[in-house]
Amino acid sequence: MIQLKLCMVGAFAVGKSSLVQRYVQSMFSEKYHTTVGVKIDKKDIALGATSVRLVIWDLAGEDHFSALRPTFMRGAAGYLLVVDGTRGHTLDAALDLNRQIEASQGPLPFALVLNKEDLLDQWEVTASRIEALERRGMKLFRCSAKNGAGVQAMFEYFASANLEARAS
Amino acid sequence: MTSGRSERADLPLPEPLDLGLVLGGLDMVVLKPERDDTFLLMTEPTPWFKALSGTVRSVGARLSLHGLSDYLDHFLFDAAEFWLKGVPGRIRSGPWLEAPDGGEGRALEAQALFHGDDGYLILEHLGEVYKAQVRVLQSAREHLLNEEALEREVLRRTQSIRLREEEIAMRLLAAAATRDGETGSHVRRIGLYAAAIGEALGWEASRIADLRLAAPMHDVGKIGIPDAILRKPGALSAQEFRIMQDHTVIGARMLGTSDIPLLCMAREIALGHHEKWDGRGYPQRLVGEKIPIAARIVTIVDVYDAMVHRRVYKAPIPEAEVLATMEQGVGRDFDPALFEVFVGILPIIRAIRDGNLDEPL
Repeated sequence: MIQLKLCMVGAFAVGKSSLVQRYVQSMFSEKYHTTVGVKIDKKDIALGATSVRLVIWDLAGEDHFSALRPTFMRGAAGYLLVVDGTRGHTLDAALDLNRQIEASQGPLPFALVLNKEDLLDQWEVTASRIEALERRGMKLFRCSAKNGAGVQAMFEYFASANLEARAS
Repeated sequence: MTSGRSERADLPLPEPLDLGLVLGGLDMVVLKPERDDTFLLMTEPTPWFKALSGTVRSVGARLSLHGLSDYLDHFLFDAAEFWLKGVPGRIRSGPWLEAPDGGEGRALEAQALFHGDDGYLILEHLGEVYKAQVRVLQSAREHLLNEEALEREVLRRTQSIRLREEEIAMRLLAAAATRDGETGSHVRRIGLYAAAIGEALGWEASRIADLRLAAPMHDVGKIGIPDAILRKPGALSAQEFRIMQDHTVIGARMLGTSDIPLLCMAREIALGHHEKWDGRGYPQRLVGEKIPIAARIVTIVDVYDAMVHRRVYKAPIPEAEVLATMEQGVGRDFDPALFEVFVGILPIIRAIRDGNLDEPL
């Protein structure tokens, strides 16, 4: 079995833990539960003939009270930068985290995850900003931890892309 | 009377400190790294450590910690480097949640110590300390989320008020513009074109919003021009033209001096939108960048919109012809850099034009 370590990073309350909970346990809670420290979850999946264990590191949200430890990325196959589409500044926070990680760990595979697609009418992250990021070659996923849309596809795309990169 | 010395001699001697017992009470285990990648258990194992390590062990047992916890494995890499340096001190792992079988789990923290000539690993169950930390952070972050939500609501309502103000202003300006045959759509378009240029220049949102509302006020001074001149069919005499030119000064006077950025900008535009880049304009014959940038923007979009649309005195001119004519005015009538920006966003300009067609008031 191939083991892939994947880190969830982003500002606080963007839905990192909810995305992991939706993917691993098929559950969702409306109530916000802050993460302190790190929680690690695992999910075994089959990608074609290959068995993969995703080891998902859910890192505490970045804010005044806690800062990301870039060493958490050591050994990671990549990371997901999670953004709350309804809170525009969380995109800035994610891009800032990305710069911090790249500066300390070098380039690692990553994708930008725009969560809370179920609240699309309340989004502050504009379509033009999303298009500009896509034009820069950034891989983007739109999903909803609440209704599950796009969540499985996002994690499994990440795992598949990683396997393909290893194979090549 | 007994001496102080004999009193002290009567005191019971303290019991030797059982460090293992003390540490056991702190809900932690202490291990000592050995050379063969194993650890020596130095305190009684706690129930959670027994659950984590999977076997019942006792003080003095040697065990491998590898593979017990992904997070601990990660920290032991850092700890090994730390112990190798041999510098007194400690490093902490930060808390992590160890959740066997996907349950709620327990919060643990590891510390690597170096004391004397030896390294030590302390694994601590954070218990209530962690729960208290979670409660504090939960409360602080919920407070921040509430603040964010309130700020968004204030912003939404401010925008709503601003839109209402804009709508009122647009209707008044459109009504005033009918005196010289302009339409409400022309007034609106000037604001939208100008705002599009402001956006292309990377201006701040509030400055763009001001420009969108200030630009349509460029001809507000025409209120003070007599109908006989303003609505005169055919060419104006030299004296009539001088009176007509006064609309810039009248407009600036009407808008007055104000600390409100929107009105300051509107005044600059009203006064400066007939200035020309090479200094041939009026009323102040300003040259180049001496002309406020908002006025230079309006000069370009006002000419463009007047030429491409029908007026009582002329048919619409095809855009290609308009652009060719305007091109000849670059560096004379128009700021070359701004004209380049204008041409660069022509698709947006056309979309504004097509989306705001002339309609009767």
